[in-house]
Amino acid sequence: MPLFIRWILVAMAWLLCAAVIGIEKQPFMEPSFAPDHPVASFGRRESPFFNEEFINPDQNLAFVHVGSTFEFGNGILGGLWYGGPYEYCHDNKIYFSSLRNGSWLAPRAIMTSTQVENDLGRPIRCLGNPLMLPNADGSLELLFVTIAMGRWSGGQLNRCVSKNGGLTWSRVERLTLSPLCNFSELVRNRPIPLAGGGWCVPIYQEFIGKFPELLWLKDENGKLTARKSRITGGCAFLQPTLIPLGGKKAIVLLRDWTKAKRIFVSRSQNGGFTWSKTVPTNLPNPDAGISGLNLADGKLLVAFNDSTSKRENLSLALSRDGGDFWQRIFVLNKDPDSYPSYPFVMKAHNGLIYVAYTDEGDAIKLVNFNEEWIDELQPKKADTSGP
Amino acid sequence: MSTDLIHQLYAGLLPWLGLSLLLLGRSPILSRLRIVGSLLLAFFLLRIPVHGWNIFLWIRSLEANPSIIMSGLLSVALWQRVSGRELFRLSDWTAAWIFGSAAAFTLYPMGLGLTSVDSYCWGWDRGLPIATAAIATALLLLGNRLGVLLLLPSAGFFLDLQESRNFWDALVDPIYAVISLGAVILLLLRLCTQRQQRVASFDKGQTAC
Repeated sequence: MPLFIRWILVAMAWLLCAAVIGIEKQPFMEPSFAPDHPVASFGRRESPFFNEEFINPDQNLAFVHVGSTFEFGNGILGGLWYGGPYEYCHDNKIYFSSLRNGSWLAPRAIMTSTQVENDLGRPIRCLGNPLMLPNADGSLELLFVTIAMGRWSGGQLNRCVSKNGGLTWSRVERLTLSPLCNFSELVRNRPIPLAGGGWCVPIYQEFIGKFPELLWLKDENGKLTARKSRITGGCAFLQPTLIPLGGKKAIVLLRDWTKAKRIFVSRSQNGGFTWSKTVPTNLPNPDAGISGLNLADGKLLVAFNDSTSKRENLSLALSRDGGDFWQRIFVLNKDPDSYPSYPFVMKAHNGLIYVAYTDEGDAIKLVNFNEEWIDELQPKKADTSGP
Repeated sequence: MSTDLIHQLYAGLLPWLGLSLLLLGRSPILSRLRIVGSLLLAFFLLRIPVHGWNIFLWIRSLEANPSIIMSGLLSVALWQRVSGRELFRLSDWTAAWIFGSAAAFTLYPMGLGLTSVDSYCWGWDRGLPIATAAIATALLLLGNRLGVLLLLPSAGFFLDLQESRNFWDALVDPIYAVISLGAVILLLLRLCTQRQQRVASFDKGQTAC
């Protein structure tokens, strides 16, 4: 190759490099979490309030799972889950409902495997784990997992948007987040809005390692930027629940896959970019999903399976010291046969706290209460089991 | 042309190139009929429907982002096979396998959770395109033709050929990683054998003296 051609090619290499750098934005340089739904004074109830109901009372599906709730821009509560004949079934659909005048509307399927296949132009095995991101402008972003092959470890994340309250949805787009065939990026827990716009979504990988991550999403003028960062590596923890503590401080509680059988905690002081070493809490974890949030007075609340062996009950615990020590306050479900699992906790703008969870594998149960109800609960005798 | 169609066409390129190369076989003499026949047969074989989806799309569901370098290397191999002309010399191929191995070693263990550092995230930063341009510069100035191929990831990324917006996916994919690692292992084994033979012949020479 003549020398002058080499130099021309070198110049081209750097021009192309400059072009690539020019088109890629870096939108998450200094993220900070938006305040976690401040309790509106007008909505705050005076007396303790507790209620439980089913989101999908008459759905009659053999299998439903991964229920979650969200708030539309107008404050109406929405519910989201997936279900069908069995867990890895191609016929499974993502269902959506909303609470109108005190009762849940009939569930509506908003996403099917066939629709995803048509939009993505490739086959999938099945879908699951939906999560709604309600934007400030009233639009809804739906994140969900599709499985290309195998089981959940072969899952990939997808996204679509609705600008009319969930009636119609944009084309599904695939998010590429993992180096090995984009396998095993899964979503489950509550997304946290960012102060500068966009979302921080707890995700996790369980293909070769099992580890928690954060997905950073920002849609600017229809152009989506998706990045991720790692909380910790290895093969130990998954399904992080992210709890912002104000500004750039946050903690994550982690589902445990190790023999410790404990809920683990990690902390960040810089908006989730770096995380402290994970340490066990005094709460048990039978390799099951957990979900938590912060309350108005700085206390933290977590819903968890209070067992080291199986998902035999679902309980609530409270921490007054930022997540180091937890006290059990209430058992939401004591029936071991109902196999209560995968809690999803959120706080609405009216101050009510909602806990959605899978009950008996074929129903999504929703418990709602206010902070006065929590205040009234006398914490059980302090746990003596240390971390 | 829509972005989705570009992504779909690009994702189909690598399986088509790979299968065409396999169908051409190892025969030293290739007729024009065999060349065209192999290219067409590869295309139609990949269009065979399985459970309602053609094989192209099944492959795409597993790997939607074949690396641009691997596609480039297969194009070079196919061109060499068809034309009989040497586009890449042995040193160029060796550089390609070393580059692929180094990229795989840097990306996959950390990217799949070995440490708290996620090397896959570097693909969203500016460092990786700059590093690629620097390696391309060095190779071009050394006269290695892999340097030309290293221009393609940036060009492909700029043209939005892939579904992924992570620069790693333009550089390396699991197939390229496995082939590169295999080739580098073979290369190292050959070097070791040659060295042992050299030592043995040297010892023999000393004994004879």
